[in-house]
Amino acid sequence: MGRYIVRRLLWVIVLLIAVSMLTFIIFYTFPSSDPAALRAGRNASPAVIAEIRHQLGLDRSLLWQYWHYMKGLIPVEVHTKGSFGLGWHGPDFGYSFQNQQPVKQQILDRLPATISLAAGAAVIWLVAGIGVGIISAVKSRSLLDRVTMGGALLAISAPVYWLGLVCLYLFSKDIGKVHIFDGANSYTGITNSFSHWFGSLLLPWLVLAASFAAFYARLLRANLIEVMGEDYIRTARAKGLPERRVILKHGLRSAITPIVTAAGLDIGILLGGAILTESVFNIPGIGRAAYDAIIHSDLPMIQGTVLFGAFFIVTANLVVDIVYAFLDPRVRYS
Amino acid sequence: MSVGAADILHETERTGDGGIDSAVVIAARSPMQLFWRRLREDKVALVGLAFIVVLIVIALFAPLIAKAFGVSPYKQSTKVLDQFGSPTGPSSAHIMGVDPLGRDVFARVLYGARVSLEVAIVATAISVSIGVVVGMVAAFYRGWVDTIISRLIDILLAFPILLLALGLASACSLGNGCLKTNGVGRDILYVGLAILALAVVWLGRKASKVKLSGLDRSTLAGPLITAAVVIAIGLFMWQVPGQTSTLIKPGVGVVIFVIAFVNWTYIGRIIRGQVLSLREKEFVEASRSLGASNARIIFREILPNLIAPIIVYSTLVIPTNILFEAALSFLGVGVQPPQASWGQMIADATSIFDTAWWFMVFPGVALVLTVLAFNLLGDGLQDALNPRSRR
Amino acid sequence: MYKPLRRILLLGVFAAAAMLVLAACGGKSKKSSTASSSGSATTAAPSGQQKGGTLKVLSNEDFDNIDPGQAYFQLTYEWLNAAVRPLMSFKPDNATQEVPDLAAAAPTVAPDGKTVTVKIKPNIKFGPPVNRVVTSTDVKYAIERGFTKQVPTGYIGAYFGVVEGAPTTPGNYKPISGIQTPDKTTIVFKLTKPTGGQLAQALVLPITAPVPKEFAQKYDAKTPSTYGLHQVATGPYMVKRLGTGPDAKVDYRPGKGITLVRNPNWDPSTDYRPAYVDQIDWSIGNDPAVAGNQILTGSSSISGDSPPAPIVKKAAQQFKDQISFTPLGSRYIAFNTKIPPFNNINLRKAVSAATDKTQLQLTRGGPIVGDVATHYIPPTVAGFSDAGGMAGPGDDFDTNGAPNQAAVTKYMKLAGFPNGKYKGPKIFLVASSADPAIKTAQAFLNTLQGLGFNVNFKSVEASTMYTQFCNRPSSNYNICTNVGWLPDFPDASTVLDVTFNGEHIVPANNSNWPLLNDPAINSALDKANQVIDPAARAAAYGAIDKTITATAAAIPWFWDKQANIESKGVKGVIAKWNASYDFSFTSVK
Repeated sequence: MGRYIVRRLLWVIVLLIAVSMLTFIIFYTFPSSDPAALRAGRNASPAVIAEIRHQLGLDRSLLWQYWHYMKGLIPVEVHTKGSFGLGWHGPDFGYSFQNQQPVKQQILDRLPATISLAAGAAVIWLVAGIGVGIISAVKSRSLLDRVTMGGALLAISAPVYWLGLVCLYLFSKDIGKVHIFDGANSYTGITNSFSHWFGSLLLPWLVLAASFAAFYARLLRANLIEVMGEDYIRTARAKGLPERRVILKHGLRSAITPIVTAAGLDIGILLGGAILTESVFNIPGIGRAAYDAIIHSDLPMIQGTVLFGAFFIVTANLVVDIVYAFLDPRVRYS
Repeated sequence: MSVGAADILHETERTGDGGIDSAVVIAARSPMQLFWRRLREDKVALVGLAFIVVLIVIALFAPLIAKAFGVSPYKQSTKVLDQFGSPTGPSSAHIMGVDPLGRDVFARVLYGARVSLEVAIVATAISVSIGVVVGMVAAFYRGWVDTIISRLIDILLAFPILLLALGLASACSLGNGCLKTNGVGRDILYVGLAILALAVVWLGRKASKVKLSGLDRSTLAGPLITAAVVIAIGLFMWQVPGQTSTLIKPGVGVVIFVIAFVNWTYIGRIIRGQVLSLREKEFVEASRSLGASNARIIFREILPNLIAPIIVYSTLVIPTNILFEAALSFLGVGVQPPQASWGQMIADATSIFDTAWWFMVFPGVALVLTVLAFNLLGDGLQDALNPRSRR
Repeated sequence: MYKPLRRILLLGVFAAAAMLVLAACGGKSKKSSTASSSGSATTAAPSGQQKGGTLKVLSNEDFDNIDPGQAYFQLTYEWLNAAVRPLMSFKPDNATQEVPDLAAAAPTVAPDGKTVTVKIKPNIKFGPPVNRVVTSTDVKYAIERGFTKQVPTGYIGAYFGVVEGAPTTPGNYKPISGIQTPDKTTIVFKLTKPTGGQLAQALVLPITAPVPKEFAQKYDAKTPSTYGLHQVATGPYMVKRLGTGPDAKVDYRPGKGITLVRNPNWDPSTDYRPAYVDQIDWSIGNDPAVAGNQILTGSSSISGDSPPAPIVKKAAQQFKDQISFTPLGSRYIAFNTKIPPFNNINLRKAVSAATDKTQLQLTRGGPIVGDVATHYIPPTVAGFSDAGGMAGPGDDFDTNGAPNQAAVTKYMKLAGFPNGKYKGPKIFLVASSADPAIKTAQAFLNTLQGLGFNVNFKSVEASTMYTQFCNRPSSNYNICTNVGWLPDFPDASTVLDVTFNGEHIVPANNSNWPLLNDPAINSALDKANQVIDPAARAAAYGAIDKTITATAAAIPWFWDKQANIESKGVKGVIAKWNASYDFSFTSVK
């Protein structure tokens, strides 16, 4: 088991390095605008532009730029002056071209908003998805089942940004027809005011959770129906266990494993930023930072947000696999 | 990413690693007739199919339909705008209202169907083709080939795909497209060679001491495949001379390329899994023991058994790709105006959605219905193939 | 090499992108620095201002750079004007007459034009954590640091490049011999050219706001400088400090917001600013439509950048006294006159005549947000009426709204297309993908297609549009649809010189988008710049404007008015020089 985890961790590092290379190649070779000219301003002379280009390292070869970047990411520093030793300074993601702030700081600043959004939505979609999934499976082929599954398919088919706009149009307090939820733009940090934070995120949570909940409900329902046909369920029933107990204790237990897996991976993806939801509701999260960075050719910021997103994705994969390996002894650690 | 229907793929995405087996499609042993019979009984799927057929007809004949209604997607008019330049809502002349340039929304929704279907179908065809070939090669030859391909897929799957797509799309929308200068090619080539050198040095040091274990092999595959890909890109771009010759042209082409590029991995994984199980089946063994060539086994024994799952997955990937195109257009890197795209219309509507609901609602409804129809059909096909998971 | 360009700014293509109006006026300054409240949201002075409260500002865009030595955007100037005091500045209601700010009186220019002397007020103190009296050396250092590579100020060469000993390329910090400080309250500029009049006007730039060297130099040693994050205020407000230590950062959250609080060391008796509100909370990254609604229906809020057309409409209909319009500059569609097919003047005239300027005007929100333009000098600048006023110079292709069909037919024939349809290779048109610029571009595209043009239509982000295409002649664009200019002070040279003088064409960051290089126009521009008498100067520039319009190098179509909106209960005062709110004069209930 230990060997398995170590191997997977090594692979995570290799994956992240590969992602950083690919990002570098795509964004640094084809920036959509000239960062130096942008930063120099309208009236800048060629000398100023050249100086800024030099400062940003953009006049160096791609290889040098990549090496320079990766050097910063190595969190350990070797002191050679004075006493020889190793120092830990944490990875350095460089400075934003746009506002010269440390990229790491900006991403960490935006992390609470993204975590709030992802976590809240995950709670909603898990509760709703599992609840609806069980009911639909139990009442399989009933009218209720058909209606909810139809609704689920509709929810999966609606793009989240459009659903967000429609909900704002109908239900937001500022411009909606029925004033129920706080509108876009109202995000507040949880440390400022819990109630305001909760109110401002309620609609984004629901909108973001809709398609996930629908997907989970469908997945759970299918699994549960399949599991309920297994022999051991029949045995449990034959033992005279109450149906509720059969479903919850025996059926759900194995049917829910894929849901746990899916939730881990989805949350991992969302922690890297939910660009569309964050855009529609103006939530200052990582997704918006990434989008703004791409728009403004802010290369270090792009690199930082992509790596960050990739980190969450591979970590979620790793966690899910390890948890799964614990849960299911049939999985071979090879 | 929050692209709703990307989730459809999750159930398949998770079949690869760690032995998790929630694959919905197991095998396609049933004959085609059986499949069609089951599908014909599925009324919901048939409704989806009918809608898609109608939509394709509408897309093909969009110009004629628009003409019949006396509207055009490109004709602008200031008469249907007020003194502030705001559009007017549905009327007898414009049944879905007009947009802020005074263009007919109905006609633009019709034409938007063309873009959505074109992008979705072409991108799906490309990504499915790549995925099938790569997946089959990986599973059939196994060993190193499989390791390398699987690791490459891992790398691509580790990417936040919407960011990757945004970056590629905005880069490729510049100038005459992307992949153009050879100076850049040289830089990329250096990067690739450097990675290769590092990997080889490490490999050499390892190999001189102990025999390579499975652990080292899989960790090494990453740098090696990356190096190979990077060198290939570098060489390619080195070879494309001049400023004007480019590989990918801006507009619909970029969108198709981007979607195909980020999506083939899913199909690749699924096909790989399918082939891995098929190649152990008795009929393949039998064929092999009779001395059949690899080509014969691939084309006569394995491929026919893959057709059904390929159709199902294509049907399930199309709606994802429709949403993907719409999302890219919504974020401003998709289809170029004045061409109509549903995603772009919704994006344009965001600034006025509280006053011009029609501009937001109609393209959105068209988008949702289209995606829904493909999902219904996909569900039906899946059930027909795999009656065990029947709803 | 710095070019002594006049400071001219681009009209923001999307909500208040890079733009600002600033710099000095042509006239002599009055000696007035007493506190007054002469500003107003429109023009009338509001009454009943109240001290206290928090003003909320909502914008979509972020600031370019919060360092006063590098700031360049209109919206950065909006708050910077309340936090630092340059030598000279503008009162909100008068964008033509600068007043002494840090300076005790207007600068004196020696008769030979090579020496400019400024006396500064002896009793202005830096805010925390420096807490000491400002001296002339602080101004000297502020300008000197602008020449370093750590603080690469884009515009500094254009204004201070004439100072003796000023570096020509950015390097490490070194003192400049031409900036002298004979005593603590006197600063003297020695120039290499007799352009002291221009330098005296440039003293309104925030680069002249004092920077304490002993405090700033450790931040200025970094590349780029981090002084902005630790900046010290001199104005009535300061960016809130996060902590009390000397190394505390200020409360600027990139992409999210900035908070300004009162500067405890500010002495109202030294300033004309009343400074009513206690705090300013600026939030960035707001959706323009949503923010607009929140401002109109909410309280204590104002817009930090221009609201979109639907909000303007809503405000104009339902919230009339919460919106104001301030004239800005001119917008035009530039042809590339250097390469085919628009090196053909008749083809340019034909397209110009076919353009429906009323439709273009509607794409930005209709007549309420600006007038149809017929030439380049905007209505607020002297020379406007000499060039023909609203009606324009009167060329038949230069319409005042609807297209002129007769002129289209005539010029198409002259251009060699007797059937009225262009035949030839695809043309390359570049547009901004931001709303509403993209609508304007599509409306114009319709005109081109009506004339038979086959168009390669490329819409990209505004930043991409400039840095990759329109500012780079080598990109071989045929048309740049979404360009425009703001006068930096009410003198026509600022509108016509950099934009149409062929001597200013450069390979990168070029602003002469039509690439017009007509020796007659170039020399006329150079001559007009030496005219002193205001009326003669206006007449000279008016004549040049007519000449340029006659070349049809571009299609002038819009004279903007910037909309600013506020919540009920906010007594908004617009700083006319910046066409945005003046935080030091605005009050809340």
